[in-house]
Amino acid sequence: MTEPLLKVENLRIELTTRAGVTPVIDNLSFELGHGENISFVGESGCGKSMTALSIMGLLPEGVGRIASGSIQFHGEELTTASTERLRDIRGNEISMIFQEPMTSLNPVYTVGEQIAEVLRAHQGLSKKAAWDMAAELLDAVRIPNAKSRVGDYPFQMSGGQRQRVMIAMALACKPKILIADEPTTALDVTVQAQIFDLLRDLRRNTGTSIIMITHDMGAVAEMAERMIVMYAGRNAEIGPVDQIIDRPRHPYTKGLISCVPHIVANLTEERHDLTEVPGIVPSLQEFGKNRCLFASRCNLRTDECLRERPPAREFENGQKADCWHAEEL
Amino acid sequence: MSDTPLLKVENLTVRFAVKRGGGFGKKHFLYAVDDVSFEVAKGETLAIVGESGSGKTTAALAVARLVDAYAGEVDLGGHEILHLEGEDLRRVRRKVQFIFQDPYSSLNPRQRAEDVVREPLLSLTDTPKEEQQKIVDDLFAHVGLRPEQKRLFPHQFSGGQRQRIGIARALATQPELIICDEPVSALDVAVQAQILNLLRRLQTEYGLTYLFISHDLGVVQHMSDSIAVMYMGKIVEHADRLSLFNNPLHPYTSALLSAVPTVDKTLREKSRRILIPGDPPDPVNLPKGCRFANRCPVAQDRCRETEPDLKTVKGGHRIACHLVDHTAVSPL
Ligand SMILES: Nc1ncnc2c1ncn2[C@@H]1O[C@H](COP(=O)(O)OP(=O)(O)OP(=O)(O)O)[C@@H](O)[C@H]1O
Ligand SMILES: Nc1ncnc2c1ncn2[C@@H]1O[C@H](COP(=O)(O)OP(=O)(O)OP(=O)(O)O)[C@@H](O)[C@H]1O
Ligand code: SF4
Ligand SMILES: [Mg+2]
Ligand SMILES: [Mg+2]
Repeated sequence: MTEPLLKVENLRIELTTRAGVTPVIDNLSFELGHGENISFVGESGCGKSMTALSIMGLLPEGVGRIASGSIQFHGEELTTASTERLRDIRGNEISMIFQEPMTSLNPVYTVGEQIAEVLRAHQGLSKKAAWDMAAELLDAVRIPNAKSRVGDYPFQMSGGQRQRVMIAMALACKPKILIADEPTTALDVTVQAQIFDLLRDLRRNTGTSIIMITHDMGAVAEMAERMIVMYAGRNAEIGPVDQIIDRPRHPYTKGLISCVPHIVANLTEERHDLTEVPGIVPSLQEFGKNRCLFASRCNLRTDECLRERPPAREFENGQKADCWHAEEL
Repeated sequence: MSDTPLLKVENLTVRFAVKRGGGFGKKHFLYAVDDVSFEVAKGETLAIVGESGSGKTTAALAVARLVDAYAGEVDLGGHEILHLEGEDLRRVRRKVQFIFQDPYSSLNPRQRAEDVVREPLLSLTDTPKEEQQKIVDDLFAHVGLRPEQKRLFPHQFSGGQRQRIGIARALATQPELIICDEPVSALDVAVQAQILNLLRRLQTEYGLTYLFISHDLGVVQHMSDSIAVMYMGKIVEHADRLSLFNNPLHPYTSALLSAVPTVDKTLREKSRRILIPGDPPDPVNLPKGCRFANRCPVAQDRCRETEPDLKTVKGGHRIACHLVDHTAVSPL
């Protein structure tokens, strides 16, 4: 195998809050290959966005910092890179679609101006060239009548169109990695299908690698080759999507898959109660404790789960699960 | 579709006056719910699905008398309720309760959990004080909250627990109909299952009838007995659970079902994705003909000319599409 495009090793991000210092990301490692799509899943607050922000060098200042570990992009260490270098990379090589499309577009500028601004800042295009290119990009993300819509303000567009504008902006500089944080959560499924279709095309045509953050296992199954299931700032399970869905090796992954009422092809009268994952996620104060943080909700829990943090168990198919009882699943 | 409907909605129309453009132009109306009729049998669940802005919430609000209908009739347990006022309206409010999407903003942050649950008893009933406390205690147990949590404030609960408080509040006045508007979409999937199981258990326990609004078709498939699909203020398809999912007839419904991402590999490989391009039309300025025609993969000239009626075909399946006749065969 060739050198991965992105290599994150033993990443630890500490968050300083009134309650003290906690590791929101605690020893996370993963790789992203050229043209690959990897997905992050996990409950709210488990650190998905934090991980993405750390790659972008955009951790909330004074609150979050990379305490240890490394992030290598093309072999270049990002955790020690200068602010200028990071800004350069952000505009040209790694770009991100943020969780909330409405708040990440500026309401007082037209979408064309906003896309053109990115192009001028990072590619040094002339005003006219940038504007034309903006229209082209809107067309590429399939906004109908792109030439006239470049002059629209964000509020004049539907939620799905705004999300497509965000994608156009993120693509403006032909990034090597696109990080999409819940790119379709607020959208109708029919619009989501359009956006996924667009992202798939993009990958095919440009070879861009994608990190997609989502809470929907179905979306993961459709879009990604590999996935990371996160729990309380840690890796619960990582591996090929098909293999994990087929046979999860962590009780939390298993719960996530079976607690959702999945749509089925030939529906029958039969109905069962849904499998529940009892309880709730641990609070930030519990992050970093030397035990399995899922233990309070787990039906396989034994004494050792409470005594020590489970090490990663690696399986031959590339699956890796941080659970004392991974083999039994 | 049902022998004893608890809820019968006929030709319900809700419109809003909207401002358009500059100048002195005439008043414009947005018909959020446009001539909608359906029934729900006692103890059953009717799900309403459809795109954002299709009128699901507005229809439900009109049924609960929380927004004014412009035309139509709503019959609850044999009584027309749209014109009721005063004490009669109060009685209806006891019988129809709402569970909202957002357990964060729908609870008063300064009220303790037990007071949140007690509130409808105070405002809608004359239940004596001692009895109120007993009802509240009972509800806490039924929705899976611990007695010592009664004195806590909403922010001291997790999202799922807050939704339990919302459910307990909705149950306080012994309603017959509960409208659940996206009751789990703000919750993490791991917590959704807890709430969905609870809603189904309570339904059997209390014989509740649900109007269940959700954009998650997996959830709808699991929860409903019948499904109404809305598009731009209209019901375009309405059928029982098995017919709708196994034999969708409206091209919009087919597109909707095919768009749901699935973990099921065989289903994914087998099913053909029907992409519907573009956006829905401007709701204030509807085109003539079928409202879905501009995005429909099989639209014909007549679709752009006349609006299809909602007609009943084989098996009681209701459908509004020119290309479907009584034999109930999908045009796709
Ligand atoms: N600016 C901040 N200041 C303090 N705490 C923060 C800040 N940003 C995030 N956190 C905390 O860090 C933890 C991880 O947050 P993160 O946003 O990465 O979660 P997430 O997995 O993306 O969740 P979601 O699915 O809700 O988006 C959470 O507990 C969150 O409350
Ligand atoms: N108070 C109001 N004034 C004007 N227009 C309104 C009002 N309430 C709703 N609308 C409009 O009526 C239409 C239907 O809205 P409604 O909230 O019922 O949709 P919905 O199907 O519940 O959508 P969602 O899935 O986004 O919740 C929309 O076009 C909406 O903008
Ligand atoms: S380590 Fe123990 S408690 Fe944690 S997930 Fe595995 S079995 Fe459950
Ligand atoms: Mg996030
Ligand atoms: Mg709504």
